[in-house]
Amino acid sequence: MSAMLLNKEKWPEFVGKLTGKNLWAPKLEGEAMRFAPVAAGDEISLDYGNTRVPPKGAAFPQTETMYLFQLGNIEMEEPKLEEELILLGVRPCDARAMTIIEKLFRWDFDDPYYLKRRELVTLVGLACNEPGLNCFCSSVGGAPDSTEGLDLLMYDLGDSYLLEAVTAKGEALLAETKELLTDSDAGAVKAKEQLVADAGSKIKRTVDHSGIPEGLPGLWEDPLWKRVSASCIGCGTCTYLCPTCHCFDIQDEVEGFEARRCRTWDSCMFEEYTMHTSGHNPRPTRRERTRNRINHKYNYYVDKFDVIACVGCGRCINLCPVNIDIVEILRQVKEAL
Amino acid sequence: MDLEQLRKTAAEVVARDDVKYLIGWKKGSYGYRVAPVFVEDAAGVAELIFSPLCTANLATYLTLVEKTPLPRGQEADKRKVAVMVKGCDSRAVVQLLVEKGIHREDVIVIGCPCPGVVDQSLLAEKYGDTKELVEVKWNGDSFLLVRGGEEIKIPRDEVLAEKCRLCRFPNPVISDHLISDEVEKRDLAEDSGVSELEAKDVDGRWEYWEEQFNKCIRCYSCRNVCPLCYCQDCILDRLNPTWINRAVNFSENTAFNISRAFHLAGRCIECGECERVCPANIPLGKINRKMAREVREKYGFEPGLDPDAEPFQASFKPDDPEDFIL
Repeated sequence: MSAMLLNKEKWPEFVGKLTGKNLWAPKLEGEAMRFAPVAAGDEISLDYGNTRVPPKGAAFPQTETMYLFQLGNIEMEEPKLEEELILLGVRPCDARAMTIIEKLFRWDFDDPYYLKRRELVTLVGLACNEPGLNCFCSSVGGAPDSTEGLDLLMYDLGDSYLLEAVTAKGEALLAETKELLTDSDAGAVKAKEQLVADAGSKIKRTVDHSGIPEGLPGLWEDPLWKRVSASCIGCGTCTYLCPTCHCFDIQDEVEGFEARRCRTWDSCMFEEYTMHTSGHNPRPTRRERTRNRINHKYNYYVDKFDVIACVGCGRCINLCPVNIDIVEILRQVKEAL
Repeated sequence: MDLEQLRKTAAEVVARDDVKYLIGWKKGSYGYRVAPVFVEDAAGVAELIFSPLCTANLATYLTLVEKTPLPRGQEADKRKVAVMVKGCDSRAVVQLLVEKGIHREDVIVIGCPCPGVVDQSLLAEKYGDTKELVEVKWNGDSFLLVRGGEEIKIPRDEVLAEKCRLCRFPNPVISDHLISDEVEKRDLAEDSGVSELEAKDVDGRWEYWEEQFNKCIRCYSCRNVCPLCYCQDCILDRLNPTWINRAVNFSENTAFNISRAFHLAGRCIECGECERVCPANIPLGKINRKMAREVREKYGFEPGLDPDAEPFQASFKPDDPEDFIL
């Protein structure tokens, strides 16, 4: 796969080449960074840790219309899928997360909604030079320069970006913009390697998960669950902001005679999530829900798909209203083993 | 702040046979974070702190208790719960008493007179965040940031939380134990956030809120953290009928946010928790403070001050000039 250099002076032109397509990139909206449609290079802020909401919605929108129908009529209409989408400036952890949730959407049934969208998305990554305070990707199989899930990875070398193609889609992007690019050289590669090594050493938080996937079932009734969930308020912040959380609900929504079946993100931290029609709830309190969140990520997913469903992006830690900290929970789990 | 006094009082309270636990604050897992803690015995009181980082309103936990069906023959635990409250938080306790969401004999209120808390995101933005646990203290008219042996004096106004600039009740309005002398009330800042919005025309306001509500991801952290959003059966969770669709779009997001604001009119005690926890940075405080301002100016009513008050939304005067309700 090829690697090219893009001088930052050419950045507006580079972005201009891509804006012919549907282009989303990190944009500062209010105080928070979000992936949003952009029309020009100066709207994009690449000087950021992580976007507030992960870009998983590109393939797994928070609300997706599956089909439309009219009451009293059995004909259904499928909404047309949008055009191709380029996500520019995706952090390696978020791209890796997309490969992790894809395993679920390809599991016992190929989910047409997710897979169709995923195919339309091109992921242009941005390696991390400055990991965030609560980043721990390197503890859970990721890295500041992980290419998993990406089509192209950019490294910020100061005056220029080093662009490395990962897939054929990435190669195609390089080909399309080649008049703006120059060949990579040994100096650039050396600078990149140094940046990656530095970034790795700046990651301050770590998780030692050895023994946790196998050990979690034995801790089912451990008092630790009550302790770590006592202050949980049961909101969906940790799950909705998680790049690997993928639970959804399906509802019919009706307005007059117009109706649609849609699926929306759901959260295992909500009481309603496991509520049975009978009124019985097998996860009646936040203790069981918190236990499930950890088990799903560090036990069930490992068991089924051989990968931890947590990429160490730190969002759930950064934004939990009451400082429930997954690194701290895992430390206590490890201690209890 | 006298931590010894706090811990001594707390130890006496949790040692009582009729007390289940005390809800307080402890140091969090990193940096400026502070976490709620449930202290069940005297050994646990050493963790308790009270500092400018203790932003969370712990009164929320009084109604957040999940009651699962009891096994046959087992009695419900009816012991009291003690809770640490700042001035604003104490108003939530009073409002809960007014609404009979809790009963006076079930709670012990540990009042913490509060000179104002810091806005942690402002603090992190201006002074950097850190993995190491750091302390922030009150120091006359400033905050003292203690980090790695170094003490940094921060002018109060630089990092003070917005709700504290507007605070009219720094001292608990109800308490069984007061852990320090009352603090002096300060001059009030003008609520410019609300006034600026009031100055806009209808279209301008609509545009403003459209942009804000479009950001909502419906995680419900605002509802869940709110000490006064404690309906057992919330319209948001209802499916039959579905009052609010699960779809996340401007229409449903607006229905949700406006419903919540109306349900809080005359009840919101302006603790600012909804705005603090919102991961989408929606300025929810503005909407709730606007409602509070309306109720205050039009009806002369202020929630969460008098436990014997009639609930605002449930009271009616026979000489009310409007006769539509009869």
